Amino acid sequence: MTEPLVRLTQVTKEYFGVPAIRAVDFTVLAGEVHALVGENGAGKSTLTKVMVGITAPTSGTIAVDGTPVTLRSPAEALNLGLAMVFQETSLVPSMTVAQNLYLGQEHFFTRLRGMYIAAQQFLQSLNFNVDPMTPVAGLGAAQKQMVEIARAVLRKARLIIFDEPTAALTPEEKHHFFALIERLKTSGVAVVFISHAIEEALQIADRITVLRDGEIVTTDAASSFDRASIIRAMVGRTLSDELYTRKDGQTRPPQDLVLSVQNLSMGSMVRNTSFSVYAGQVTGIFGLIGSGRTETAKVVAGVLKRNLFHGGKVSLFSRAVRYRMPRQAMLDGVVYVTEDRKIEGFFEGMSIAENIFAGHLTARGPRIVSPAQMRDLASTWRDKLNIRAIDPGARVVELSGGNQQKVVVAKSLVQRPKLVIFDEPTRGVDVGAIAEIHAIIKGLADDGLAVMVISSYLPEVLNLSDRILVARQGRIVEEFAPQDATEETIMYAAVH
Amino acid sequence: MTRSRSKLTQARIVLGIAVLAFATFSVLVPDFLSAGNVSRLLQNVSILGILAMGMALSIIGRGIDLSMVASMAVSVAWMLAEMNTGASFAHAFGFALLFSIAVGVINGVLIAYVEIPPIFATLAMGTAIYGFGRVFLLASDVNYLPDDWQWLNTIATAAPLGIPVSVLCFAAVCGLGHLFLRGAREGRYIYMMGDNPQAARITGVPIRPMIVGQYVLTSLVALVAGLLMAALVATMNTRIVGSTYVYDIILVAVLGGISLSGGRGGAGSVIVGTLLIGILLNGMTMMNLGYTTQNVIKALILLAALTIDSLVNPRDEQTSQQGDI
Repeated sequence: MTEPLVRLTQVTKEYFGVPAIRAVDFTVLAGEVHALVGENGAGKSTLTKVMVGITAPTSGTIAVDGTPVTLRSPAEALNLGLAMVFQETSLVPSMTVAQNLYLGQEHFFTRLRGMYIAAQQFLQSLNFNVDPMTPVAGLGAAQKQMVEIARAVLRKARLIIFDEPTAALTPEEKHHFFALIERLKTSGVAVVFISHAIEEALQIADRITVLRDGEIVTTDAASSFDRASIIRAMVGRTLSDELYTRKDGQTRPPQDLVLSVQNLSMGSMVRNTSFSVYAGQVTGIFGLIGSGRTETAKVVAGVLKRNLFHGGKVSLFSRAVRYRMPRQAMLDGVVYVTEDRKIEGFFEGMSIAENIFAGHLTARGPRIVSPAQMRDLASTWRDKLNIRAIDPGARVVELSGGNQQKVVVAKSLVQRPKLVIFDEPTRGVDVGAIAEIHAIIKGLADDGLAVMVISSYLPEVLNLSDRILVARQGRIVEEFAPQDATEETIMYAAVH
Repeated sequence: MTRSRSKLTQARIVLGIAVLAFATFSVLVPDFLSAGNVSRLLQNVSILGILAMGMALSIIGRGIDLSMVASMAVSVAWMLAEMNTGASFAHAFGFALLFSIAVGVINGVLIAYVEIPPIFATLAMGTAIYGFGRVFLLASDVNYLPDDWQWLNTIATAAPLGIPVSVLCFAAVCGLGHLFLRGAREGRYIYMMGDNPQAARITGVPIRPMIVGQYVLTSLVALVAGLLMAALVATMNTRIVGSTYVYDIILVAVLGGISLSGGRGGAGSVIVGTLLIGILLNGMTMMNLGYTTQNVIKALILLAALTIDSLVNPRDEQTSQQGDI
């Protein structure tokens, strides 16, 4: 038997005494596609970071081609042929594709023309359809990823690690990406990728490793897994069915008309879209990236402004509104729970209590802050939404993704809204918390609130919604009742 | 803020350094511990401290106000000039007050509505205010407290119970600053804006009016500092605008742990920063160190405080903020 490309033996990595991975044995074979799955905080990222020299393991050994190595920096790992492509790309936006490819390898005097010719030939050899002379800022997410991959291949990487490679990609781009992985594999490059999308792992991986709480639960050929068995291994319990299937098959009837959007337009993202949202119901909006769903929601919530002329009409409780800022929408009872909680969701330097209180304060809160009131409010909502933190004074940034999301939800619900817009409510949330967040959303509709849920995950839309709207190219194009809809029919409406 | 984890905040580290410096100077410099010197020490930095409290309000809200010194000097100098030409106090003070508010509003509008980065908007405003003052409002660089108002100087330099009046003023401003930042709704808004402006906006903070308000407040604190300065030294010398005073103010604020990326620190940070700078300046002056040497030492202290902070509270990819310094 040949020696694996990379072998980790009993590797442990501790952060401030807390182990992120514990005594992990892990191998990557040459030319295989290996998927790493697990809940948030299971140690997937740490495991990959150890392999490419970003962090040093606390104990244990790493062997490349059977030779034990100490990786002190990503550059050293790259010299051994181990490269990592990050979720946020590390390309320089203002430079061209070719310049990015050769970044750090330029000679003292570089002939740009020569570089472009070399880049062109190299990209063609990989069958990448990217013009080496375009600035990276002008590329889409998938093309940026291609450039990153090309750069890794150019530096003779034998193992490329991806962290959530498909999170930012549309289905077509995903398709290209999978084809690319196939090509890398045939040219003998091993691929390790971290993924939350279990179908992807099943589809393209040769082997799958499931991590839970910093330990490897199982490693096996992908063919010996199915969706349910992976989820079982991830959470240690069977959850898949209860998570994404409706138990009742009942939909809530529409109550009063809350929101009516007519011919709304905003820039090139939202084009002449019309739809309505009713109280006591969950209105699901499904659409691919670029379908303008988030932008539509943000216009409704006052985060973005619609076109001044021919911008259309937004009515809330039959009253025409035009918001300049989210505060006005919030005071009228519209709150928007963002898809990107780190950037526009929570206050990372503040505690859970301070975050929740922030929502209370802006919504007709008291002029004078009372610490006791802040604590009471926090403990009420911690119980209500089951927010778990070892240390109640901990900053929100130290919590897990699911608990962070619950804090953002609490911060919005404390404002006593009448219309709640959830944008990708379970993105980056661990499996256990997904069920809880779904229960919260359903509970709001049961309490008579109007709820909008934007999601790109079909099972989620099907499970939560009482009505399903499909967005395509900046406009709502179709409406389904959940009992008539299937994943296929919805996807058929959403692709152009 | 409730922060049970990192016990070693920058403010505590700086307080430790201040105590250390105080102890060192007490041993090295004769007379350092005398009651007269300690009260002089505090008196000398109280104006700097008040200005730093004002600067803190801007910095915590993820801004900065480089026009503070110009605003202080021109508004108070104009007030003194008016009083010297026979205007009543109320009349002259009204002018100074309106001038301060106008400066704050213009700063705020430039930053919040025109969206010019605060550092450039206020830098240009500082020069503009000074130029405007010298061309239209003030006949000379130095404006004196009128003779019939010299009693103000007597009060300002007094020290009831051994505590100089200027120190009481500093304490009062810091106390009010603390109450405002921690206890008032708008104070919390400033922290929210500094921590994450986009999240603050979505949560419902009226960002733009708040920014204007923040710069008006800063400008008003500058006016308070200017009034105290005029009372203390019986003059207002507008040449202070051209000095490095504004960097001393930023030094005090940042030294105490008010991060330039916003949302961190408070009135306590201003107090410890002011104490350390006061002790150092006084001790170094008593040791007969030159102005330039003192500047080098101040700069090294700032770098040391920032280094220790970043070692004790490491910022990784996850917790770093945009524009983190």
